[in-house]
Order: sequence, then structure tokens, then C-alpha cells
Amino acid sequence: MSLSARMILVLTLVGLISGGFLAAVATLTKERIALNVQAEIEEAIKEVVDDAAVNQVVHEEEDLLIYRELGEDGELVGFAVQATGVGFQDKITLMFGLDATLTEITGLTIIDQKETPGLGAKIEDWEAFLQFWENRDAAGHLALRKPPASTIDKLLPTEINTITAATISSKKVLGIVNLSLERVRELIKQGKMKPEEKDGN
Amino acid sequence: MATRSIKAEYLKGLWDENPVFRQLLGMCPTLAVTGTVVTGIAMGLATAFVLILSSIVVASIKKLIPAQVRIASYIVVIASFVTIADQVLKAYFYPISEALGPYVPLIVVNCIILGRQEAFSSKNSVGRSFIDALGMSSGFILALLVLSSIREILGAGTFLGYQVMGAWFKPWIIMILPAGAFITLGILLGIALLIESKTKRS
Repeated sequence: MSLSARMILVLTLVGLISGGFLAAVATLTKERIALNVQAEIEEAIKEVVDDAAVNQVVHEEEDLLIYRELGEDGELVGFAVQATGVGFQDKITLMFGLDATLTEITGLTIIDQKETPGLGAKIEDWEAFLQFWENRDAAGHLALRKPPASTIDKLLPTEINTITAATISSKKVLGIVNLSLERVRELIKQGKMKPEEKDGN
Repeated sequence: MATRSIKAEYLKGLWDENPVFRQLLGMCPTLAVTGTVVTGIAMGLATAFVLILSSIVVASIKKLIPAQVRIASYIVVIASFVTIADQVLKAYFYPISEALGPYVPLIVVNCIILGRQEAFSSKNSVGRSFIDALGMSSGFILALLVLSSIREILGAGTFLGYQVMGAWFKPWIIMILPAGAFITLGILLGIALLIESKTKRS
């Protein structure tokens, strides 16, 4: 056999055998990987919407996914908004909850971020950042409080605490949430999302 | 090639030819994922998996591969094992896979692996290649363990996630930032060279 024929044969064989192995491994792991991703999303929803049992996707677009959350008995308990935007280092993917009337943010959690360890990465930290996202006003634009307040009671309902030494990351998260809230308001206007009627209205 | 004893073949990877401290290979994962001990060990084990298996495969098929296409063939073999490692981590160790991020696929370009195939497995028997890969992997894991322990303890006050420093301790954030990786590695390399020069003189 000529040298070129041997070279072609060997490389083809190496490629085919490797490809076969990879196809087998991909088939075996595909399902579990999808389950892992789904479990991560479900866990994030539970953190931001209390009593959420059933997730229904109501709206899907690039970088924005909105779920309608039903409780054990099928009643509407709120909405979960999964949004992705640009952070300080890389993209940040977060999830926040809205109450059933779509007037209040019930909580925030970070699904994926690659901010600076020890500084910007504190956006994942409950004490430093996430605790200040409970019961925020979802009607207008939220603003950053700098220097940060010591407890959540000292913040206005439209304010979010800034992380000391990580103002940019705090701002980026706030920007993603504000942008998503705008989209939610548009969707309500267009009739694509329906909040629960408030009592007495 | 001079025949070493099996024991010496293994031990050379731990110190005399340690991939990180003596050969300065595989610097990218060494610097990038040693912020915590868990990610450091996980990266070490994933690299060991790829290195050992690709060494065995390369040593077994070395006579069939024409010299002109050997590097291409080795890379395909290495890339396959890396992809398998990546998929298995994603399926069974999801949080670790998330923490390691793009550094698992990047094992393909870790010079330790291609370097061992070219310098050792393509010239030695399957058994010796296995022992060599085992030694190099142990040396790499050891280096990542030392580096990540220092960085996690000083940078976060924890070891494997458990608090080891008292409440008085203020974490040195620089240690878990990239600069901390360079500083720690530099000091460790200095110590390694010092030990080397001391043992040679005596």
C-alpha cells in the first residue's frame, strides 16, 4: 500500500472509531444532562416563587423565558422570569419571581454567572445581595441604593442594595431585571400575560 | 531508551519530571481552576482519565500509524477522551462541570497530554506508557492540590468548603483572583528550584 493510501486509511479509521464511541457516549448521557438542566431551572423557580408546583411556559424569546406558576391545587401563585444579559465578565442568567398580580418581585436567584470571584460573584450571595430582592415594587424602574442600607426595611420598595466593591455587577443584574420588567409590562398590554385580578378592583 | 525500574518510571512524574513544577506544562488549567480544592482535584482527575487512556491507546496503535499523521491521530484520540470526560461530568457531576466551565474541553490542548504521547507512549510499550501516564497524572493532581489548597485556605478561609480559619481571619481575595494563581505558582516554583539546587549540591 502506498504511503498516502495508508495515511488516509489510518486517519479515516481513527476518526470513525472515535466518532462511534462519542455517539455511544452522547446517547447514554443525553437524557441525564437534559434532566440536570431542567432540575436546575425548577430549583431556581422554587427559590423565587413560593408554593410553585407546576411550571407553564407563557412566553419565550431570545434571552427571556416567562413561566406561569401554579400551586398544588392548580391556582395561580405567580410568575417566574428567566432572563440572560451581559454582566461585567460574561453573560449572567438569572431568575426572578413575580406575584400573581404582577405588581411585586418576590425574589431573585442567579442561575449562571462568571463575575470576579470574591467581588462581583457576590451577586449569588444571600447576605450581600439576594436578600434585598424580596418584595420589590415591579410597577416601575428599580434603582440602586449606594452606599447600601444595612437592612431591607431601610430601603424604599423601588430600591436595591449595591454590593460594596461590586457596583458594576450589581448594576448589570439590576439592568437585566429592569429590562425584563419592561418586556413583562408590554406583554401585559398586548394581552399575552394575564395577571390575577386584584380583590375589590 | 534506558530501562528504568517500574517504580522509578512512576515516581519520576511526582518530582523529577513533575509536569507542573519541573516541566512547566499544563499551565492554563493550573492557573485557572485552582481557586478551590474541589475544582482543582476534579480538573486533575479529568486530566488523569484522558492522559492514562490516551497513553494506552497511543501505545497500542503506534506501529499502525504512519509518522506523518501521528500528531493528527493522537489529537483525535485525545479529543475523544476529553469529550467523553466532559459528557460524563455534565451527566453525573453537574455542579462540578458548571464550575470547571470551558476548562474541561480545553484539556485537549493541555501540553502534558500530547507531550507524553509524543515523548513517551509512541516509543514505549503499553505497560510502561500506562505507568508513565499514571505517574504524570499523580504529579499533576499533586501540584493542583497544593496550589488549590493554598489558594482556597488563604483566599476563602476554607478547605474543601469547610471553614478552617477562625473568625479573626479576613480572606485575601487576591488569592482566588488570577493574580493569586500567578503569585502562588511563582513562589512554589521558586521553592521547587531551591530544593532542586540544594539536593544537587549535597
